Amino acid sequence: MPESNNQRITSVGIDIGTTTTQLVISQLTIENTASGSLVPHVEITDKEVIHRSQIYFTPLIDRDLVNAVAISKILESEYKAAGLSPEMIDTGAVIITGETAKKENAKAIIDALAGFAGDFVVATAGANLEAIFAGKGSGAALYSSERHQVVVNIDVGGGTSNYATFFEGKAVDSSCINVGGHLIEFERHGDRITYISEPAKIALQITGQRLQVGERVTLPQLRPVVQAMAASVVEVLKTPLHSDLTQKLLMTPPLQLGHQIRKVMISGGVADYVYAENQPTTMTEVTAFGDFGPLLGWELKASLKSAGFVLEKPNETVRATVIGTGTQSVNLSGSTIHLQETTLPLRNVMVVSPFSAIIPETPLKIAEIIRNEIIRLQMDHSEGVVAIAMKGPRTMSFSDINSLAQGLLLGLQDYIVKDKPLILVIEADCGKVLGQCVHASANRLLEVICIDQIEVDNCDYIDIGKPLMGGRVVPVVLKTLVFNR
Amino acid sequence: MGVENNELEKVIIQSVMEELARKGLLSQKGKDHMMSAAMMDTPIVPNLQSEEMVTFPPQEEMQIANPFNADAVRAMKKLTPARIGIGRAGTRPKTMSLLRFLADHAVAQDAVFLDVSEEFLQRMNMMSVQSAAASKDEFLQRPELGRRLSEEAAKSIAEKCEKNVQVQILIVDGLSSSAIEANIPDLLPALMQGLKSSGIKVGAPFFIKNGRVWVQDHVASIVNCDVVISLIGERPGLGTAESLSAYMIYRPDENTVEADRTVISNIHKGGIPPAEAGAHLTDVIKQILSAKASGVKLNQQK
Repeated sequence: MPESNNQRITSVGIDIGTTTTQLVISQLTIENTASGSLVPHVEITDKEVIHRSQIYFTPLIDRDLVNAVAISKILESEYKAAGLSPEMIDTGAVIITGETAKKENAKAIIDALAGFAGDFVVATAGANLEAIFAGKGSGAALYSSERHQVVVNIDVGGGTSNYATFFEGKAVDSSCINVGGHLIEFERHGDRITYISEPAKIALQITGQRLQVGERVTLPQLRPVVQAMAASVVEVLKTPLHSDLTQKLLMTPPLQLGHQIRKVMISGGVADYVYAENQPTTMTEVTAFGDFGPLLGWELKASLKSAGFVLEKPNETVRATVIGTGTQSVNLSGSTIHLQETTLPLRNVMVVSPFSAIIPETPLKIAEIIRNEIIRLQMDHSEGVVAIAMKGPRTMSFSDINSLAQGLLLGLQDYIVKDKPLILVIEADCGKVLGQCVHASANRLLEVICIDQIEVDNCDYIDIGKPLMGGRVVPVVLKTLVFNR
Repeated sequence: MGVENNELEKVIIQSVMEELARKGLLSQKGKDHMMSAAMMDTPIVPNLQSEEMVTFPPQEEMQIANPFNADAVRAMKKLTPARIGIGRAGTRPKTMSLLRFLADHAVAQDAVFLDVSEEFLQRMNMMSVQSAAASKDEFLQRPELGRRLSEEAAKSIAEKCEKNVQVQILIVDGLSSSAIEANIPDLLPALMQGLKSSGIKVGAPFFIKNGRVWVQDHVASIVNCDVVISLIGERPGLGTAESLSAYMIYRPDENTVEADRTVISNIHKGGIPPAEAGAHLTDVIKQILSAKASGVKLNQQK
């Protein structure tokens, strides 16, 4: 039984944002890190970015339509530059972020690219997920675990600012506000307004400014509305009581502020201007990219400092999200995997967490809870594959684990009949024995994936890739869309 | 004489305190407090009659008085069962740390010196035999006796155990009886279920008192099994006294060396959970059976 002790996989991250589109290709090393006398533990031990693309302006057909053809051309030429073909990509994610995610054909693009960009490339979208990837890519997650300090990463892009609070390396809070550097567009290096987005119109109205498309503006005319937007970004960090403008601009529920925040990191396209030495002094400098990003950066710094926050420098600024997407989106999980390889990869597996409190003692009661949850969610068995997620068995005793297995089989009877794989995700370290109990109780050959030691608390969907390391692990991508539901 | 000494002591304490207070190293309040303590005539004697249970604060509780970064201490404590972040009283450990240390040491000693209870063996419905070591003291003083069966044991195994099975499971007390009672009730059923549902023929597990790892070779020579697995109590430490190891060997004989054994260690509730270990051991045994080898020879085949 040949079992290599490490393997390298190639992962791609593609970020299609409001303003820019970019990709990175990284090589992940996965290894069994447990010593011979312990249960094997496979994890990602090294992440190396092997190719960074140019930063492209996101190709748009018109304001609401992303140009899918142009994007696939970008991918093609960047793969070529990296010396790779789509078949050589093992995993990764496409993330459509910011304002772009709202645009009408975003889903179609995701579908088109997921097929184009390698066999197992996951499509994800959603402001909260973007925030977390950005914070992992910027180094905020690592900072919080190395220094044992709470840090908030704010990824300020063209259309949105995405907050993710990190504590001991884990994202504990996230939010998104409709503030970005590209919400008002100008002639490049000029002072004439060419476009004002909806959120910018709200900000103008509330601050009593009257700027119109086609008008020429001076720096003193532009500054108040930018200051107001920067103040809204900072307000979310400070208090749950928000001004009218902040309330209107928030795109998700605000930060819950469960942890005291002192340190802040800024990533995204605007970040370089937050950390700049000097402020832009002319409209020509402000509109270097046809927007007001440089001014927003400076005003954000001023606003953060006057509110008493400490700014920390990120490792990555404009590429934080794409690096986070490419290197951080994949988890690995082992345990019991009895599956025909053709069943994988599985995309968009809905995660169901039926047990709110402690799991009951008897298989009958366990089955009842599962059935009720399925009725509550109005899930149709003919629909896609679901994963049943739980923290752990009632206790770690064999009899409780065995009861759990029997209860799961009983509760999912109708589902299993459809010849669908039984996917179980459990946080406690008992995946192998749970899988074994399911097999022993099933009395017939079932396709089972039982994954342990993965937290799916806040997760809505997962993708499961083809097995690696001689079938011992599968790559799992968790799609966390919201924290507070 | 005793009384005089006591008086002298008080005088010395008083002059030291006053000197410290004069130099500003001790507040007036602190001085008064210490003096009143020194003047107490009745020594504090613990009440030996009391059998009140002592409850320790949870291990993760912050013991450092004014931590610079409490989150960092908590994160580090989570990573290790070692006694870190326990604070100090001057140059000495705090009372609670010292008591905990002594208690853990006592638990470790109990694990070695106590026997696996009769009640436990009955509940698990296991036959019990003994090594050539007749008592705990002999077992600890003469390691070689724990490595083979007593004559009586060899006889009852030959009479009662099924021969020519694929797998024979032994439960051996080794250096921790506590490890046996803590882990076997969850490990054994998981292991038996795994082996049986894989269609592997298993002999009835039995218990060996005062046994060491090598006693498995003696058993294998009698029952003529392919794989013998010993679930044996590990030498207890101050972190846990409940850690269990599984030693497996494929067809041991007179040429067997230590490197021929495969081991999975650290089985306890804070390490590899026992039920999960049972499922994992099933996989390892299947590998050994198909490779017809264990230990380093097995790893070389991988």
